[in-house]
Amino acid sequence: MLQNSPKIGHSSHVVTLDVRPQLLDALSALRDRVAAARFPLPLAGAARARANRDELLAQLDDYLVPRLRDPEAPLLAVVGGSTGAGKSTLVNSLVGRRVSEAGVLRPTTRTPVLVCHPEDHHWFSGMRVLPDLTRVWVPHHRDPADDLLLPGEDPARVLRVETADTLPPGLALLDAPDIDSLVSDNRVLAAELIGAADIWVMVTTAARYADAVPWHMLRTAKEYDVTLVTVLDRVPHQVVSEVSRQYGALLTKAGLGHVPRFTVPELPESAWGGGLLPATAVASLRTWLVHQTLDPAARQYAMARTAYGVLASLDTRMPGLAGAAAAQYAAALRLTAAVDGAYDSEHARVRGRLQAGAVLAGDALRRWRAFPLDCTPGELLDTLVESLSTLLLCAVAAADERVDDAWRREPAADAPELAGRDTAPESAEHRIGLAVRRWRRELEEYAEDEVRGLDRSAAPDPETVAALVATTLLGGRRGRAAGEGLAERIGAHGALRLRDRGGRLLVEHVDRVMHAERERRLAPLDALEVHAEPQAELIAALSVLQKER
Amino acid sequence: MTAVTDQDHTEHPEHPEDPERPDRDAGGPPRTDTASPWDDGLIARRVNEGAGEEQRGAAAARTAVPQTVAPLAYDPWLRSRLEALRELVGLSRARLDNRTLAGAGRVLEESTARRRLSGQHTVVAIAGATGSGKSQLFNALAGVPVSETGVRRPTTAAPIACSWSDGAAGLIERLGIPPRLRRRPLQATADADERLRGLVLVDLPDHDSAAVQHREQVDRVLGLVDAVIWVVDPEKYADAMLHERYLRPMAAHAEVMFVVLNQIDRLPGEAAEQVLDDLRRLLDEDGIVLGEYGEPGTTVQALSALTGDGVGDLRESLARFVAERGAPARRISADVDVAAARLWPVYATGRRTGLSEEAREEFADRLADAVGATATGEAAERAWLRNANRACGTPWLRLWRWCQERSEPPTGRVALRGQPDEEATARQRVEQAVRTVADRACAGLPAPWALAVREAAVRGSQGLPEALDELAVRAGLPPGRPPRPGWWPLAVLAQVSMTALQFAGGLWLLAQIIGIMAPNLGVPVLLMVIGIVGGPLVEWSCRMAARGPARRYGQEAERRLREAAAGCGRARVLDPVAAELLRYREVREQYGRVVGVGAGRA
Repeated sequence: MLQNSPKIGHSSHVVTLDVRPQLLDALSALRDRVAAARFPLPLAGAARARANRDELLAQLDDYLVPRLRDPEAPLLAVVGGSTGAGKSTLVNSLVGRRVSEAGVLRPTTRTPVLVCHPEDHHWFSGMRVLPDLTRVWVPHHRDPADDLLLPGEDPARVLRVETADTLPPGLALLDAPDIDSLVSDNRVLAAELIGAADIWVMVTTAARYADAVPWHMLRTAKEYDVTLVTVLDRVPHQVVSEVSRQYGALLTKAGLGHVPRFTVPELPESAWGGGLLPATAVASLRTWLVHQTLDPAARQYAMARTAYGVLASLDTRMPGLAGAAAAQYAAALRLTAAVDGAYDSEHARVRGRLQAGAVLAGDALRRWRAFPLDCTPGELLDTLVESLSTLLLCAVAAADERVDDAWRREPAADAPELAGRDTAPESAEHRIGLAVRRWRRELEEYAEDEVRGLDRSAAPDPETVAALVATTLLGGRRGRAAGEGLAERIGAHGALRLRDRGGRLLVEHVDRVMHAERERRLAPLDALEVHAEPQAELIAALSVLQKER
Repeated sequence: MTAVTDQDHTEHPEHPEDPERPDRDAGGPPRTDTASPWDDGLIARRVNEGAGEEQRGAAAARTAVPQTVAPLAYDPWLRSRLEALRELVGLSRARLDNRTLAGAGRVLEESTARRRLSGQHTVVAIAGATGSGKSQLFNALAGVPVSETGVRRPTTAAPIACSWSDGAAGLIERLGIPPRLRRRPLQATADADERLRGLVLVDLPDHDSAAVQHREQVDRVLGLVDAVIWVVDPEKYADAMLHERYLRPMAAHAEVMFVVLNQIDRLPGEAAEQVLDDLRRLLDEDGIVLGEYGEPGTTVQALSALTGDGVGDLRESLARFVAERGAPARRISADVDVAAARLWPVYATGRRTGLSEEAREEFADRLADAVGATATGEAAERAWLRNANRACGTPWLRLWRWCQERSEPPTGRVALRGQPDEEATARQRVEQAVRTVADRACAGLPAPWALAVREAAVRGSQGLPEALDELAVRAGLPPGRPPRPGWWPLAVLAQVSMTALQFAGGLWLLAQIIGIMAPNLGVPVLLMVIGIVGGPLVEWSCRMAARGPARRYGQEAERRLREAAAGCGRARVLDPVAAELLRYREVREQYGRVVGVGAGRA
């Protein structure tokens, strides 16, 4: 029985599906932008944004683009609903043949089944719609497809295509898995399949019509303003009118009062055993579907409504994605800023400590005090170099600690890519030691140059000169005596020149070490490639589409 | 049909030790039936309100036998686990945030609240999806239509309780079920069901309807009851909502759960068996232990509340279950399990924790480097050796050295020698040492405790460099000339005598040349040769002999500084860190007791 059948707009205000090539171009540009959007940082809304992106991408690929490209393709009615709502039974009864297995064990339908008229087969055998589902072609006389699956093929990502000449040409029925299945892959697949539909057939039962999950689906359908029809299945005879009235009231309350509703009674053969319902039980639904297919105006209306509904839904979905992309970028910026801030302040501290002569302390200071009587220049240089590398290592470790502290407060820092950095400080120690030793070698070369230039017979030992320069550079005020000693040995001019060159070299090496360590710390974040562009690109693609619509 | 049953005001167990019931006899209006002395004003008032209804309900005329209801008693094993959980929460309050501890706190509260109430009763909730026939089953068990059933979905909006015997009012009160929703089973059924005495059945609203407040009700009550009967039907038994939101998280409570497959009358023939098997498979996948072959676990049964098929079996199981009176304790025990499992990441470690001896040594080494112990020792050794050489060297060599020293420009030594340096300790080395030792101590600790250890280390390290500065001055060698060994004067004497021999020989020869003395070449030459060869020989042997004392002297200097630095570091950093680790170990032990490791089931 057909209740609350809406006045389908015939000649008066027929919504025609008028597709210009520009619209298609804009749409495929938008599709590429959506496909390129990534949400790698685990922010509060990221999981949802990822799901929305996948759903939108699937809907664009599976439905919107193919539909706008081929308006004359058959209508696809997807039968969706909860576990045990009797979807397969309904499809079987509409076709008049067992095309999809029904049973008492849940979930029954694991492989979605598409049924169409033999003439329409070419529309669905190719990859025009649902391109990421593998097609399985089952000839009429063969039994269920499970044994036909190639080994290693994921049964969830397979679409079985059946033909039946009892269906009118231009209509295809798709039996989807449960929208609330225990198998989460099935749930995702069900949502994807429903998104590919021209006509959403939502099936619920007398026991289920108040469940939360199907209502969520109904609300989505309302949001997208698609061509929707609901079937109240398996209603016991005694309560038909009451349940139907209740359900109608709930639908009206949800703003879906105009949606066509069909009631299918619970019959002994309805589910258990997987039989077919008598044709009369589903006659009204079948008539409605056939009408949508054969009447050109109704067909246009049904098709255009869903297509425009989905197009219009882009207005809210795209900004949502763009917002999520912006949030990702903002979070990445915050993480980067934390690293930069920590390394900058540590770098400043290192510079300050170098000026204050902090390197000439502890061991180095003792050596210097004993120099030259009880300590060789080589030993002095050794301890100075070691002390300098400790200073740098300490700065890097402190910066890392600060970064860890700051990141602990950032939910985005929990990304597995960021957590898996090399925690071995030994490697940092190794790198810093290498850099500092190179500095020492270069400083020694400078000292040799300077000493070679001296035209004296009693030229001082180059190593002593190098040790004195290093002490002057690293010792701050404490190393002033070294400067004096240096001037006495190689002359005031030479001492000044050597000090300048050595100082520049030191600054260069320290800057390079700090920079390299910062880059190492930022590398995993950079590898995630969270940029500002996706947000702007998504919005731009949407506005181009809006102009073309 | 029944009315409200609050005449069983004997529900309050004796609490002679409970100070928070001062108004036991206060203010209640006079009561019609024999009042036990243990009703407080609140309950009495409520009874009065319900009095009208009470008169209407014929079944309610059962006079309450004043009986004392024994409070629930937990077995010693559970008591010790709860005790350990309480300790654990107390010990970790300062370290963990409240959100982490909330679950454990709730378990403690509920266990205390449940313990005060009747131990003779078992509260069993009937839960399930919309239209699975919860109310139908409730009515079938009670024998009367106490709960409204219907095709309107969702039907039951608020929980309804039905008690088979007196004394359960406190329990029902705890569930927040108002008196108008409390029922008694039909007299005849109740009498026939003597074995169900102590059963309190609660009919819950559905958990999966679009009405959110129903879900909240269900979640609240499920946290308070002793056991749950999950009602599923052939259409909905595989719903994701049921399995993912309820059954999987409650897998630990398998022993206090029943799962019944209702509406088997809708299934033809052997389909019921198939569905039941499939249901068992799903429950197994949820991690729920099924009580087959008499093992403890969830009972799975098929029944039809409509036709009464299998209801008897369920009644039988329930009777056994209630008679055991073990459900409340098992439920609390499962709650403790769940709370402990949730706390696992903040207490458990994969490896052995603690500060190893090597880490301590390494810390001491780093601190010694920071104060420059090694360099000090070496410098002291060399200075000693230098002094010895100078003292015992031949005078000619000393003369030559003195000349050379004058010609060479003075360096380092000219610096302000006398006054001690400020900031003589290498700050960066101290910082790095503390960081390394904190890292070592934190290795393998759960995050909150690692943070605490790190904080303790950092707190201790404040002021450590200054302390080390001070200490380096104090623990250094006494200024002035280093001590000399006893043989030193002898060596000097020998050197002097060698020089004297040279002079003596030379003078003798000179005297012979001049002719003062009789020519005798042999002896003076021999004297001179002895002097010339013996001088360096004495110097060389002195140097060899001085090595040992010099090394000892240097090592002594190094040791003093090193030990002082290590002692300072131990007091300021290692001890607080060790204390923090000890506290963690204590907490870990408590956690072990909560989980039940190392304690046999009593």
